[in-house]
Amino acid sequence: MFKQLSRAPGRIARPVWVGLAGAGGVLRELMRSPQSALGTLIVLFFLMLALFGPQIAPYRANDQSSAPRLEPGGEHLFGTDYLGRDVFSRVILGASSIFRTAGFGTLIAVVIGTFVGLFIGYQGGTVDEIAGRVIDALLAMPALLIALVILGIVRNLNFEPGSWQARLADNSVLLVIALVYVPIVARVVRSSTLEIKTREFIEAAQMRGESRLYIIFREIFPSVVPALVVEASLRFSYAIFLVASLGFLGVAARPPSPDWGLMVNENRGGLYDLTPWALEYPAAAIALLVVGVNLMSDGIRRAVQKSG
Amino acid sequence: MARFLLRRLLFFLFTLLLTSILVFILTRVLPGDVARVLLGREASPEAVAAKRAELGLDQPLVVQYVEWLGGFVTGDWGTTFSTPRQDIAGIVIQRMLNSGRLAGLTLILAVPLSVALGVIAGLSEGRPLDSAISILTLSVVSLPEFVTGLFLINTVALKWQDNPIARAVGWFPASSAIRADASFREALPAMWLPAMAATLVLMAYIVRLVRAGVIEELKRGYVRMAVLKGLPYRVVIAKHVLRNALIPTITVIATSTGWLISGMVVIESVFSYPGIGRLLVNNAINNRDLPLIQAIVMVTVMVILVANFTADVLYAILNPRIRLE
Amino acid sequence: MSMAEAQTVLQVENLSISYKVNGGWIRAVRGFQVEVRAGQIYGIVGESGSGKSTAASGVLRYLAANGRTELESRVTFLGEDLLAKSRREMQPVWGAQIGTVPQNPAAALNPSIRVGEQVAEILRRHRGLSRQDALDRTVEMFRRVRLADAEGIVARYPHELSGGMQQRVVIAMALIASPQLLILDEPTTNLDVTTEAIILDLVRELIRDEQAGALYVTHNLGVIAQLCERVIVMYAGEIMEDARVEDLFVHPLHPYTIGLLNSVPRLGQTKRDAGLISIPGTPPSLAELPQGCVYAPRCPLAIEICKTKPPLEAPMPGRLVRCHRWPEIARGEVSVIGREEKAVSPLAAGDLERERLLTVENLTKHFPIRRSLVQALRREQPAPVRAVDGVNLNIQQGRTLGLVGESGSGKTSLARLIVGLLDRTAGTIDLLGVEIEGSVRQRSREILSELQMVFQNPQNSLNPYLTVGQAIRRPLMKLAGMNRRQADREVQRLLEAVSLRAEYAQRYPGELSGGEKQRVAIARAFASNPALIVCDEAVSALDVSVQSAVLNLLAELQQGLDTSYLFISHDLAVVAYLADYIAVMYLGQLYEVGYGRDLFLPPLHPYTEALVASIPKMDPQDHTQPVRLSGEIPSPRHMPGGCRFHTRCPHKLGEICEVEEPPWRGAGGEHYIRCHREPDDLTGLQQWLLDEERE
Repeated sequence: MFKQLSRAPGRIARPVWVGLAGAGGVLRELMRSPQSALGTLIVLFFLMLALFGPQIAPYRANDQSSAPRLEPGGEHLFGTDYLGRDVFSRVILGASSIFRTAGFGTLIAVVIGTFVGLFIGYQGGTVDEIAGRVIDALLAMPALLIALVILGIVRNLNFEPGSWQARLADNSVLLVIALVYVPIVARVVRSSTLEIKTREFIEAAQMRGESRLYIIFREIFPSVVPALVVEASLRFSYAIFLVASLGFLGVAARPPSPDWGLMVNENRGGLYDLTPWALEYPAAAIALLVVGVNLMSDGIRRAVQKSG
Repeated sequence: MARFLLRRLLFFLFTLLLTSILVFILTRVLPGDVARVLLGREASPEAVAAKRAELGLDQPLVVQYVEWLGGFVTGDWGTTFSTPRQDIAGIVIQRMLNSGRLAGLTLILAVPLSVALGVIAGLSEGRPLDSAISILTLSVVSLPEFVTGLFLINTVALKWQDNPIARAVGWFPASSAIRADASFREALPAMWLPAMAATLVLMAYIVRLVRAGVIEELKRGYVRMAVLKGLPYRVVIAKHVLRNALIPTITVIATSTGWLISGMVVIESVFSYPGIGRLLVNNAINNRDLPLIQAIVMVTVMVILVANFTADVLYAILNPRIRLE
Repeated sequence: MSMAEAQTVLQVENLSISYKVNGGWIRAVRGFQVEVRAGQIYGIVGESGSGKSTAASGVLRYLAANGRTELESRVTFLGEDLLAKSRREMQPVWGAQIGTVPQNPAAALNPSIRVGEQVAEILRRHRGLSRQDALDRTVEMFRRVRLADAEGIVARYPHELSGGMQQRVVIAMALIASPQLLILDEPTTNLDVTTEAIILDLVRELIRDEQAGALYVTHNLGVIAQLCERVIVMYAGEIMEDARVEDLFVHPLHPYTIGLLNSVPRLGQTKRDAGLISIPGTPPSLAELPQGCVYAPRCPLAIEICKTKPPLEAPMPGRLVRCHRWPEIARGEVSVIGREEKAVSPLAAGDLERERLLTVENLTKHFPIRRSLVQALRREQPAPVRAVDGVNLNIQQGRTLGLVGESGSGKTSLARLIVGLLDRTAGTIDLLGVEIEGSVRQRSREILSELQMVFQNPQNSLNPYLTVGQAIRRPLMKLAGMNRRQADREVQRLLEAVSLRAEYAQRYPGELSGGEKQRVAIARAFASNPALIVCDEAVSALDVSVQSAVLNLLAELQQGLDTSYLFISHDLAVVAYLADYIAVMYLGQLYEVGYGRDLFLPPLHPYTEALVASIPKMDPQDHTQPVRLSGEIPSPRHMPGGCRFHTRCPHKLGEICEVEEPPWRGAGGEHYIRCHREPDDLTGLQQWLLDEERE
């Protein structure tokens, strides 16, 4: 009943993504609730660090000019680690690698997954049946496990420096994130597509003799976008999580790069040797960023549902 | 129902087959020359060739795959690459059991707690209690396992270790590095902390899904109808809402097995607990022990699939729509 | 009202209900009042958004979480103030003293509990019966609602029952504890007309037996006429009129009531007689109600005084109306019908036949069934679903072929076969003498542009992410080969043709009402200037006042452009209004074809007879008890042999109907019936129809 009320004629109910077109619109929608506003601010803050880290950080990542294990305060806001490196600077400089790997990894997965999902969903029939099964089967393997095994193996291979294999290996974390998320994104897009495909406006398009590409991209794709945006923000938060965990397990970044997960791992011994700050600050940075992304993605989901 | 279960069983076998192909590609094709990996960069070409012949790597890939799969199915999982060369089946199964009991303890802690919290949050949707639970689970889900794990070590194990009770019982040691063949009684004290860390991870996941299930169920027409029949609130909730809301929870718990296993890999590393995850990270991956990696991944996927299949069977039994098909 | 006044069961005064939507309160019902006596069925009729269901929920004291009842409201049930009661205090009332029949029985039944238990739990709770006693009483009740095999059904789960059976279970649920008040909220809306008729008979009989009071909420005026003693007409949350049913149908006093009664096509009324009188515009948004009379913006009689709020006045005892101008209407000084709607030009006798546009021969669609395990092992192939089974028909240039049948009769499959959205199993389709391919994928642009479709659900037939202009422009460019500039100009012209302002081109479907969306869909279908448009339940999702305007539009456009229609509907009266020629379909085959009006005069095929008899008549005086169909439409997976209708036929001859396919028989003129009985024989059996016609 009240649903009807909100749809009563005369009210403006523009589709969300038309209304949201442009980053400004998205931001405005997110700023409506305090939680998602906070989350968005956190994410933007870290994005700033990622972009302008080298300008902000007081020290270089591997500057060992100070004494090791200095307590937080004074010259070193977050103290120094067991090698005398400034923890504050390393936390700031670590932001860019997490955005690069998790962010671009998610982006690639979203692009490829969307294509795959749209095509198999629209095609339907046997193609969809088989592809759907393969996707389900791939999803039976935990993402962390696949990523761990692939990175564990690739990490130990030695390629000619500068060769294409070496360049791939340099970006292995990013590629692995993309790889494990493609089936997940594809599944979400596929199920959306299967649902939208049955709507009558698709049949109207078929009756005009529209090409498959036109129907997929012009008629179906816009309706998939809300679900896709929600999924992408969710994937991004898991990707950060995953990159951090892989760093901690020692298969993502190599020392001495300022990777947050790796920093936690390197300074684990430090807990007993009384340099807990070298571990706590990067751990807190990971947690804060993931909380921020989660709050933001909750907000995105609400914004999308409200208009859906 | 038979048809449903048969389909699930076929899917189970299909997934296993697909996994085996993937694992084979990952461990045989991706590393390039396995013999070279094994012997190192400085090995002579003759030695590499000999090694290749020994391992059967000179055969076509399909032959290699079939032989490997055949060996795996018949229980011949080979020996580890790294020394001492151990029988893989033996250690993998031992470590799997260790992980299994940690997972079991986790489930015993996590499932009742998180189902209860999820139901409470769902029933009080939009009220402060729900917000509190939601914020709690959102923050827990945002913490990677190693952060929660290290946090628990730092607080419970290190700061509270002077607690006389903790000392008497011997619970909550900072390191869970027990012997791999420890009995359950010996292992239990060391399992509490890792189990708690895993519980937090799992809990956040289950609470959110149970909450969503309850909220969705509350909107159904038959819940309104049950109220309008004059049934008391508790009967409406227990008989009409929870029955339908909790049936999918079984599936949720089963599908969270994969989630739990990922968590275990990290948590076992944090606490040095001798389970399959630690075997994978410390022994298999750090030593580039390809047969060991193969066995671990295959066994893990199998466990996940068995869990999913069990959930399907339970679901089919509990849901009249499928049972009566 | 009867002399010996029955006891008042329910007294509602000044009931106002608000919902919180997007932070603001919307007053969905304002000043509702009603008095229901024992044994009385009180109807509440209104279109979607009129607040009729909300008012019923308010009486039940059960609102959605964002709803509240305003302080001044009074709901007195058997002398007790229900609004003063807490939810817990309502528990002994709900189920025991007030029974509810909700709109959607499938949703009202818990899928994981046996239906017997879902009814029996009421008795255990309110009457303190033991498990066994409660179940025995449930079986008894199931017999009273005429569920065959009551003992067996108590142990079934809801998904094992058909829609009609589920509705009976829910009615049993409402009545099992012998409540003094029943609230029925559109209980037959989703049912086929044949099932609806049977359920209505049942409801009438049970309420009479129980001497309960009842509030019956519906959008269907025919149901009100057949079932209710009194009726309230609601609009935009307010009572417009409250009267005895006979008075309302004979002497309506409110312009809205008059408008509603006029917009429903009566069976036998056609577009050649007169245009339907529709209500202009759309109902207001409850968030932005007009000042003064809520109906004034659409009212043809609105004058200056209507900008002030009219009171609810009593022109005579037992009658209420909310209109400033009721005295003039009562005296017949003003007429609501401002302008006479133009009828489509009448046809000269010989003019009816025109050249054939589309000819369909032996059109067949069989959906294969997946083999079960056992069948796979035995290497058996299960019989396919014969959705459309050897249909022959033709459509003439500029004419409308109406297609009627219950859901499951295969009429939608037939439509989709013709437009090429389904691949046919066998048969030919001939357009203007050229045989055309089966699927849209194979059809050429020329053929696609000649065959277009208007879909049932306006919600789904327009892409929510394309503007109206984009939606209409595309077929112009794609099929009519226009360039962008020409297409944009043509969009304006088409919008004008469907009576929408030019600025609508920039709007998104989410900003349009249901009727406006359907107009856009019609404009889109006409864009390629097709020879044939298939309308599949094109007006079924619309409210009656909007539906009549769309029907008029379709008739006008056809006359202007000489387009042919294949018009499909489950609503016989609507089909009869628009169609020149009608075909009746049952289980994949046609059983009767003929010219529009002839079809509703005897002789009729027994199936058509039952369809006609099932329509709730818009006349409260008409209490004929015509034929009812037993049972429900069989599943096409288990197709009956011989005449497919024999399992439900009231005039079955005998074995011949079960084994032999009936022949087509001429019934005079171009009227054909497929039946084993002779047409004269059927005429005799259908004497009641002739009698009715004479009155």
